[in-house]
Amino acid sequence: MAIINQATKELQVKIVYYGPAKSGKTTNLEQVHANVQVPESTVKGKMTSLATSSDRTLFFDFFPLETVAIKGFKTKFALFTVPGQVIYNATRQIVLRGVDGIVFVADSQYDKMEENVETFKHLEENLKSLNLNLDDIPYVMQYNKRDIPDVAPVEYMDFVLNNREVQVPTFEASASNSEGVFETLNMITRLLLHKFLSDGVRK
Amino acid sequence: MGQFPQLIQEDLDHLNLVMDELLNKSEANIALLVEKAGYLIHQCGSQESIDTTTFATLGSNAYNAVQFMAQLVNENNFTSMYQQGEHFSTLMVNVDENSLLVVVFPTHLTVGSMKYYASPAARSIAQRIEVASQRSPDTRLDLSDLDPKDVQALFRKKN
Repeated sequence: MAIINQATKELQVKIVYYGPAKSGKTTNLEQVHANVQVPESTVKGKMTSLATSSDRTLFFDFFPLETVAIKGFKTKFALFTVPGQVIYNATRQIVLRGVDGIVFVADSQYDKMEENVETFKHLEENLKSLNLNLDDIPYVMQYNKRDIPDVAPVEYMDFVLNNREVQVPTFEASASNSEGVFETLNMITRLLLHKFLSDGVRK
Repeated sequence: MGQFPQLIQEDLDHLNLVMDELLNKSEANIALLVEKAGYLIHQCGSQESIDTTTFATLGSNAYNAVQFMAQLVNENNFTSMYQQGEHFSTLMVNVDENSLLVVVFPTHLTVGSMKYYASPAARSIAQRIEVASQRSPDTRLDLSDLDPKDVQALFRKKN
């Protein structure tokens, strides 16, 4: 959960990009890291990737992004990805610890739909194992790889992945071209700050 | 799993006192208080050459991974974690449910001496965190000036 340091006037927030293998989680972070505007009030940290020799995420990718989102408070967003491969499920649980907001990166290709659904179920289970409930955590859906021909229609993806009682914001994206990446990030930060507004940050 | 409490200046003064004392007595280079979700809470010592934010994140996740290993061998937890390097070594000591103390020290110092000094420091920090947890800070996070419209595009893409 978010950390508030009244003494140093800092708010620290953790956002995790979650999704099936090769859906584009790392690409999202790479694109933000490479393309984010860095005005004086924003500090961009280094991107750290713990990857296998074949460039698959082994543990997580991480990079810190700092800005002043709330008057007088330096807000540090810690962006993480989890490994997509199922064999690293224990690692996903570790990375989810203390999560404040989630971006679920789904692969828009038809043959990946089952994997999307399975990974979403794993997300809910992993949160439960940490005594967290997805309904209490702001999250958004990103339907990635829209640049590939013959992908599933958005309506179909909504039906399969965003068919819960409360529907969450969805974004079409082509992360490798940076399309939809910033829209997704801005929406999850917006949802998070709205939640802080309604909660008064701490219950 | 409880939440890490809000800290006020009095808490930071206490952390400075304890962590500086740890560094002075042990001759370690850096001490970091890290929340187990990966947040760097406080740091003391000379950290010019180290990206302490990343260091804290990597340390906490490595520590959490080791706790998973502990469960697999039916241990409740491993209370510390030590990595030996050629020039520098690190020791991570559990503080409480939510945080750990990370110490970076030159290799010529022994891990035994480091544990000797780090353990009481961790206990003292844990007590302070407990005090902070019991407190209800008067100063709340002032969100009155936050306009949700401003948040719509907090991060912009370079042209």
